Amino acid sequence: MGMNNKTPILEIEALNTTFYRNGQALPAVREVSFSVARGEVLGLVGESGSGKSVTLRSIMGLARRYGDVSGQVRWQGRDLVPMPDRELRLIQGREIAMIFQEPMTSLNPLLTIGLQIEENLLAHTNLSRAARRDRAIEMLDLVGIPSAAQRLKDYPHQFSGGMRQRVMIAIALAANPKLLLADEPTTALDVTIQAQILDLILRLAEEMEMGVVLVTHDLGVVAQTCDNVSVMYAGRIVEQGPVRNVLREPRHPYTVGLMRSVPENLPPRTPLYSIQGVPPSLDTLPSGCAFAPRCSACVEACVQGRPDLSRVTDTRHVACFNPVIDAKGNAA
Amino acid sequence: MSAVLRIRDLHLRFPLGRSLMDYATGQPGRVVKALNGISLDLIKGEALGVVGESGCGKSTLARCIVRLHAPSEGTIEFESQDIFGDDNRSDRTYNRRVQMMFQDPYSSLNPRMTTGQILAEALSVHNMRPEAEIPARVVELLDLVRLPQDAQHKLPHEFSGGQRQRIAIARALAVEPEVLIADELVSALDVSVQAQVVNLLLELQQELDLTILFVAHDLRLVRHVSNRVAVIYLGRIVEIGDSETLFSAPAHPYSQALLSAAPTLNPDDRGKVARLEGELPSPLNMPSGCPFHVRCHHATDVCKQSVPALLPFEGCGEVACHHVEEINAHA
Repeated sequence: MGMNNKTPILEIEALNTTFYRNGQALPAVREVSFSVARGEVLGLVGESGSGKSVTLRSIMGLARRYGDVSGQVRWQGRDLVPMPDRELRLIQGREIAMIFQEPMTSLNPLLTIGLQIEENLLAHTNLSRAARRDRAIEMLDLVGIPSAAQRLKDYPHQFSGGMRQRVMIAIALAANPKLLLADEPTTALDVTIQAQILDLILRLAEEMEMGVVLVTHDLGVVAQTCDNVSVMYAGRIVEQGPVRNVLREPRHPYTVGLMRSVPENLPPRTPLYSIQGVPPSLDTLPSGCAFAPRCSACVEACVQGRPDLSRVTDTRHVACFNPVIDAKGNAA
Repeated sequence: MSAVLRIRDLHLRFPLGRSLMDYATGQPGRVVKALNGISLDLIKGEALGVVGESGCGKSTLARCIVRLHAPSEGTIEFESQDIFGDDNRSDRTYNRRVQMMFQDPYSSLNPRMTTGQILAEALSVHNMRPEAEIPARVVELLDLVRLPQDAQHKLPHEFSGGQRQRIAIARALAVEPEVLIADELVSALDVSVQAQVVNLLLELQQELDLTILFVAHDLRLVRHVSNRVAVIYLGRIVEIGDSETLFSAPAHPYSQALLSAAPTLNPDDRGKVARLEGELPSPLNMPSGCPFHVRCHHATDVCKQSVPALLPFEGCGEVACHHVEEINAHA
């Protein structure tokens, strides 16, 4: 995809994930392609049900137990999609780590956090018991938990939400992964704590030269943290490119709508721009462009067929028959 | 500028009960100090935004106003009547005139009742219409919140989150209230749907001359909806004033940090955040003096010792900070 000059460590090509309910196929992810380089932070943004979390789970090999995953997930040259579980397990958690939205429920409430960090090290490294303990302290220190050595024997309920998310990050990064998949890591947190956690992820990505895929529904978070962004709608990427370009000059009417729905730089108490209707459910996707029924720039072609994600400039890709051309968001 | 609701020095403490250890050592039980002296006027026709981190007491305040919690100290007056006064406690007209809408559209509607039944129940409980006129009024209400007529025969699970919040709004409006308490009304909704519900709320406020208390953690939304804003920290108002003034030039160091932490859509704003170190202290162990002093860069000895009063500050509404003048002189 060449979104970054550095060589990519992860390349996803035409990823498809399908779940089945009562014999009916639900296309959760369709034709998703992107790449991530070392040290790059890629944002995956969309509303609920757009397929962003399923994309992460498909990369990690967590979706294939529940549905069909096809396409390529090339990790340092090897394809993870057909890889047997036994081999995949050497990559999951060691080279690719994941953190989840709910810091309250993703930690085991019955185990001390020291044990939960060391568990990861036991599975993925050859460190001795003493070295694992030292590394656990080092990690807690790194993510900014005060008096780390004393807190190893504390249980998750003794930490606040923000602190638990720091613990999650410490666990995820303990084995020194090269890629971090972060699924709405700050959604459950206050803005002040969100800012601290995002700072932490950015700092660690830089220091450890780690790639990050950050799933979020908040374009503000994307603007403040990501290098590149992919906007998803109904399982497909509809727009892709460097954050600055995409947010300054969004081309897809959905991206424009999302940005304009955010009350920023608007006279107070005036009507907000709103995209009419609601996102489609996966069992009743329209045959043309999935956004067409809600789109104000919809033309005949949008109902007839589906636009492919195609290149508009060196770094930008848009899937739209009638993309927006000027900065104000007016259609051609 | 007449106040619909007058809240004066509101305190609310939740005792946690004594643990075995407390009995053994003769300690009193621990107490969560949720509200610590909130005074506030809700002015007729305004939308007052309430912001703060989770656990600061903003939802508790909303719940006190609709009498879901009784305060430990202090009063709330509605038309000069104390709503917790002995004579007024069981007064249902207050419940009718001040209505609350909740955050979670999935748990705030009875899953076994159709939309029509949900709205009709509200109408008949408060004797809003004779039985015979209720069906017509239900249709009117659905129309008011831009839902189609056939929605009345459907159950809540057949609606999306945004539609459910419309039903919640219709239910609140069924009893023709004067004040709406919106506790995180749109927080659970997707951005594109959020905008639709916010637009509806603003239109209805104009149309029906409603007074709104808008509690939310999304600062951009609060700025957009509110005429005035109160910033709450650990159960105290630290700053209150005109929304545009407060958002463009917050005077209290906490307001400054909170507002700058909200991510904007402009990538050039990166790194312009006044980082707030640490987290909200537990309301079980309130810091002495100014509740914010443990996280504040400007804190001095006086902040550790005495609680600053909420006082008018030139051009900014009211601010509770010992050093508000120095802090804003530098800026």
